[in-house]
Amino acid sequence: MLRVEGLSVWYGATEVLRNVGFTVPDGEIVALMGGNGAGKSTTLNALSGLLKPRGGAIKLGDRRIDGLHPHDVVMAGIVQVPQGRYVWPSMTVRDNLVLGAVTRRDKAGIARDIEAQLDLFPALRERQKVRAGALSGGQQQMVAIARALMARPKLLLMDEPSHGLSPKIVEEMIDIIRTLHKRGMTILLVEQNVGVAAALAGTAHVLRNGEIALTAPGGELLNNAQLLKSYLGR
Amino acid sequence: MLPFLLVSGLTTGALYALVAIGLVLVYRSTTHINFAHGELFMVGGFLAYTGVVILGWPYVPSLILAVIGTFILGIVSDRAIFRPLIHAPGLSMVLATVGFSFLLKGIGRLLWGGRGEFTSMPPIVDPSPIFLAGLPILPQQLVVLAAAVACMLALAAFFRGTTAGKSMQATAESTRASYLVGIRVERVYMYTWGAGAAIAAVAGCFMAPLTLLSPDIGFNLLLKAFAATILGGLGSMGGAVVGGFAVGIIESLAGGYVYTAFQDVSAFIVIIAVLVLRPQGLFGTRPAREA
Ligand SMILES: Nc1ncnc2c1ncn2[C@@H]1O[C@H](COP(=O)(O)OP(=O)(O)O)[C@@H](O)[C@H]1O
Ligand SMILES: [Mg+2]
Repeated sequence: MLRVEGLSVWYGATEVLRNVGFTVPDGEIVALMGGNGAGKSTTLNALSGLLKPRGGAIKLGDRRIDGLHPHDVVMAGIVQVPQGRYVWPSMTVRDNLVLGAVTRRDKAGIARDIEAQLDLFPALRERQKVRAGALSGGQQQMVAIARALMARPKLLLMDEPSHGLSPKIVEEMIDIIRTLHKRGMTILLVEQNVGVAAALAGTAHVLRNGEIALTAPGGELLNNAQLLKSYLGR
Repeated sequence: MLPFLLVSGLTTGALYALVAIGLVLVYRSTTHINFAHGELFMVGGFLAYTGVVILGWPYVPSLILAVIGTFILGIVSDRAIFRPLIHAPGLSMVLATVGFSFLLKGIGRLLWGGRGEFTSMPPIVDPSPIFLAGLPILPQQLVVLAAAVACMLALAAFFRGTTAGKSMQATAESTRASYLVGIRVERVYMYTWGAGAAIAAVAGCFMAPLTLLSPDIGFNLLLKAFAATILGGLGSMGGAVVGGFAVGIIESLAGGYVYTAFQDVSAFIVIIAVLVLRPQGLFGTRPAREA
């Protein structure tokens, strides 16, 4: 589905991603790991069109999508759940979901999908009219995921969905991502939590200093804990 | 005298509120203060004047001409001046909007009269006062007040009830999230500049028959709107409305009870007093947005 080749991204005079390449096959969960500042978010932002890569190619199927405006990236089927959630705090949960479908015109389909998100996240159903800013961190993460799903993505980019959540909520988050996977969603999952990545990912890539330093099957991450620790710098 | 001053204060206050709403609308969405906002008000007023006096049109089509004309002006200015500067340091934008205000003032003088000339606009409705509960009230004031309030309600409905309105709100609150769901953020900015200009024009159209028009009135109105937004809390839409009414009433009372010349400086005094006593304004909202 997604193929990234030789991706290079610069912030001003610093090269933050160097020759990054990986693929995300249809229907799989691929994890992108690495310590703070390794370039994980930068990779997702380049995919989403928030940053223009200086070199390399991003292909969704046969189509080059690097350099597209973020709107066109969403239209092409890639939607990001950003690190830090970025829900619209003064808007209701429901309006957050409604705006997630801003690229769609099928009113009936949008209404059906809102129901589907509320089924997937029952905690949000009773809080539809609540301002998103008043929710707990875990609930805001659910809003952010539900909002992204409202665009009907082919590929979901998730940036540290477990960050800052209690262990119990992290378990819930794993279940939700597993459910999405079972339904056929393709997911590129950025994680620093090795447990989460190992539980979900078919393949894991480890970024270090803007380069892919290690690729391993997700199931082997925990056996490789020692190696991983050195790469994650923890 | 008090009821009379209050009614006239409410009327001008409603118009200040409209001008302030446009200022806040643009500020919330783009984080820039449009220093040409007063000139857009002036252009709106003169476009209505062009319709009514020069072309001899009825009032409503002239109003529509003014609103559409300034809306387009707002959009053109976004494409030509503001969009290229959207990622430039804040000061570039200040200079650009100040420059744009001079350009508009120049065009105003060219088309509608030189320095210090005042143009009067015929009243919208019969100018003779009517008596409500024994108070002499100008029907025109009622029309203006009603129109301004209707305009505010329409805006509130727009923000609550339409996808376009929600997209504007969303862009103001988190640009990043807006990009990521596929909102065309640049287009939202463009329509925001246009809408801000159009609202200023509505105020200009209704103010023109109450006072006199001159190409130089823009700065004065910007000052009033600025006082209103500072008082209400910069970035708060509701605050702009309350602040607008408050500045109108303060000004009217100051002019009536203290000293006529006081009317013109009262906006300055409001700004200074608020900045000293309660810098976050009455409603204390910081702009709700991330870096
Ligand atoms: N807007 C920016 N401007 C300059 N440097 C940045 C910016 N954003 C991130 N960086 C730098 O790029 C590197 C990668 O950041 P990021 O992709 O956010 O890392 P990660 O998500 O893996 O923690 C870091 O060194 C960071 O300091
Ligand atoms: Mg990150």
